[in-house]
Amino acid sequence: MVPALLALSRRAAFLISAAIVVVTVIVAVTAPWLPLPDPNGMEAAPYEPPGPGHWLGTDNYGRDVLARLAWGAQLALIVALVSSAIASVIGVILGSISGYFGGTVDALLSRTIDVFLLIPSFFLVLLIVALFGSRLEFTMLAIALTTWPRSARIMRAQVLSLKSRVYVQAARAAGASHGRTLVRHIIPNGLAPIITDATILMGLAVLTEAGLSFLGLGDQNAVSWGRMIFDGQRQLRIAPWMSIFPGIALLLLVASFNLLGDGLNEALNPQLRRLAARATPKPPMPVGEARPATPGPILDVSNLRMSYRLDSGQIMAVDGVSFRLQQGESLGVVGESGCGKSSLGAAILQVMAPNATTVAGDVDLGGIPILRDGRRVVSHDREMIADLRWTTAAMIFQSAMNALNPVIPVGAQLTEAYRLHRPGASHKEALARAAAVFDLIGVPRERLGSYPHELSGGMRQRVMIALSLLHEPKLVIADEPTTALDVLIQDQILGELDTLKRQMGLSLILISHDMGAVAETCERVAVMYAGEIVEMAPTETVFRSPQHPYTKALLAALPTVSGPCRVPAGLPGEPFSAGETTPGCRFAPRCSVAQDLCRSSRPPRVAVGAGHEALCHFPAGSAA
Amino acid sequence: MNLRRYVVLRLLQLVPVTLVVIIINFLLVHLAPGDVSIILAGDTADPAYLAAIRERYGLDRPFLEQLWRYLVQVGSGDLGLSFRSREPVFAEIMSRVPATLLLVGTSLGLSVIIGTVIGTWIARRPGSTTDSVVSALAVGLFSVPVFWLGLMLVLFFAVQLQLFPAMGMSSVDGPREGPGRILDILHHMVLPVLALMTVSVGQYVRLARSAVAEVMGESYITTVRAIGFSDRTIMMHYALRNALLPVVTVLGLQLGLVLTGAVLTETVFSWPGLGRLIYDAILARDTPVIMGAFIAMSVTVAFASLVTDLVYAFLDPRVAL
Ligand code: SF4
Repeated sequence: MVPALLALSRRAAFLISAAIVVVTVIVAVTAPWLPLPDPNGMEAAPYEPPGPGHWLGTDNYGRDVLARLAWGAQLALIVALVSSAIASVIGVILGSISGYFGGTVDALLSRTIDVFLLIPSFFLVLLIVALFGSRLEFTMLAIALTTWPRSARIMRAQVLSLKSRVYVQAARAAGASHGRTLVRHIIPNGLAPIITDATILMGLAVLTEAGLSFLGLGDQNAVSWGRMIFDGQRQLRIAPWMSIFPGIALLLLVASFNLLGDGLNEALNPQLRRLAARATPKPPMPVGEARPATPGPILDVSNLRMSYRLDSGQIMAVDGVSFRLQQGESLGVVGESGCGKSSLGAAILQVMAPNATTVAGDVDLGGIPILRDGRRVVSHDREMIADLRWTTAAMIFQSAMNALNPVIPVGAQLTEAYRLHRPGASHKEALARAAAVFDLIGVPRERLGSYPHELSGGMRQRVMIALSLLHEPKLVIADEPTTALDVLIQDQILGELDTLKRQMGLSLILISHDMGAVAETCERVAVMYAGEIVEMAPTETVFRSPQHPYTKALLAALPTVSGPCRVPAGLPGEPFSAGETTPGCRFAPRCSVAQDLCRSSRPPRVAVGAGHEALCHFPAGSAA
Repeated sequence: MNLRRYVVLRLLQLVPVTLVVIIINFLLVHLAPGDVSIILAGDTADPAYLAAIRERYGLDRPFLEQLWRYLVQVGSGDLGLSFRSREPVFAEIMSRVPATLLLVGTSLGLSVIIGTVIGTWIARRPGSTTDSVVSALAVGLFSVPVFWLGLMLVLFFAVQLQLFPAMGMSSVDGPREGPGRILDILHHMVLPVLALMTVSVGQYVRLARSAVAEVMGESYITTVRAIGFSDRTIMMHYALRNALLPVVTVLGLQLGLVLTGAVLTETVFSWPGLGRLIYDAILARDTPVIMGAFIAMSVTVAFASLVTDLVYAFLDPRVAL
């Protein structure tokens, strides 16, 4: 909550609008005692322009515009508060009943809410006021009676999500009645969005009242800003100030309500804030003429660091990762979720989230430098990575996560990607190529015209793989390619990947939380923990003699009959959260062989065998 | 489900809304202070007309029978008689529809296009200063009382600069037909369209912004970035296309607000549409017209939501018809 509030206060718009509402409240409350003329007094000369006597001028009856403005604030606030309060109360009651009891009650009530949401409220208010007379009470009631469905719908959704919570279930189990459960345990916890929406309702109510008054349906005895504009309309040519100022007042107050609602909404809704979070990338690094690729490893990553910017500050998701991958070699990157393995993949192709940036490290792809000291290498205004994406290195994303565009047929997604890197290619050629990769991975060609949602999970994943193979890349980075598929399909797809790798001489990076999957497909394994590679070795070595306590724990969590298994479930303790800092080993709190040294000093990276390194003071518990 | 069945089913969903609206009308008239026949006939009505109205609505019959009569009447398109003109309300409303349609259609079209373009543009960098400023301005825009904005436009463009006419849809002495008439109407349209458009454009800016920003965070956008599409192409070709879906949905839901704005705008500019009809009816306390307008507006909004659903289903392949 504290970071949320901080983020909120950073928003100038929120503060300004809060200030405007506070000032309006003060003016409205103190209006009778302010040194202002009587708002209905007609002592002054009519049509007096703004000046020292009357700061905002006088109207056609010689009434002081400023005084009327101050009294009008009172009316505006009363309308705002009363209407939105009544609407919210009705909404909360009906919404919670509907959400809590479900079944027929809910069906009936939510249909009613839907119907009422469709009724254009202003016209109903208009009719009510026209029939019952333009007393302020009726206006406010009419506004409330036409706006409650908004709150009801919000409350219903809130209750639906709250009623299955543990504490609510506990209250019921302890014998609390339905009414008590609702009032004590559900409603208070679901009110936040109602209050947010109420601020918006307030703006709506003020505007509606003003609109009614402008149509001549306002309360004749009240001083209302809308009424002032209505009066001013006829004198527009001779006394424009009569309509200008009340309009500005209306605009400021309504905009403030809306901006307040917006700000609150953003503070309560972490997703909106995440959208707004954004990191400033380091400036690119120009290299003049691009050198021809040097022979060597297909991928060379050295001391790569990538950070995310969050409300609470920076977190380092990839923290000094180095490794090389030879052409045709395959590397599995394993670790619990949040260890930085997916960030690593995104950083290599430079397709990180907007709030992520590489802050240090060099990356060479296919012998071409693409990242130097965390800065993207550019030559002639073009990023080096741009020409390598998908032609030299492609990615396989987890297709269950909407990695394919839901509104474009899969075939079109393939042909568009093909033609992007073959500008001369005709549509026919592109289609032929798409069909060819479909054949390769065993997707029937008829599926080219299908939308992603028409395919099974396994098929979708195969389409994703086909997409990655379009341009015969040298390196494929597969990020959890089989997660969320059933075991049989997982095995099939891993097998196919393995075959393709051999046939095409692909280099493969397989990012997975699943040790078993990696063991089947990869020659080498890198285990990541808290942004670092804690152990890297040939697959066999890792399984036969793991050196790092974390790797051991991961392996111990694997069932003996080799098969995929969700690793995190088997590990005790909380994973290191990337926001923490420690002078010692990040795994120490969960490590079974941790010593004092581990908590006070960073473990070294030690070579424990041929091509085998571990980041640990006591590899294989040697000091024990 | 095939298309025709879907359309028919959705059309059937209009029935409850229409029923509720008619019943509300009926109840309000009976709950209102004063004699129902006078409310419906006007307090200046002669006894003969009063008797005719009593007969027409069966006001001496039992309550439920009155309701049934009223439902049948409205259902068959009979919205009663305006007591100023003694003309059927339905005909009066229909005669005003073209002018309102022209105003609402033009400003809605313009504000959707302009709003979507601006919203998409600021969504490129959510959280940036440009984004914060433009987003706050957009909120400011839909907080503007449209009738006040209209007056200010009149003050500035019609009174001060004398660039555009302040009222009406055509000049009294203007050309009656041909391109001259079209130009004349366009000239008169500028200010009302500007007013109505300005207050609704903010909605679409915000809508498009959040929709595009959200789509930009989707995995399939990461996929096309990895494939190597330029930011521009991704924005225009992929994000916008997917983000149009929510824009379409809200378009239908917000029609009620736009119609409200239209009524107020027409009042300011004496635009001879439905809004003006309603305003005149209010001044004369011509209740049948106000009731008829409420029914007409409600049915229009409900119908618009149906059209929106159909367009949505057409745009999004995931909605199976
Ligand atoms: S350094 Fe110490 S705490 Fe860290 S993994 Fe090794 S033994 Fe465990």
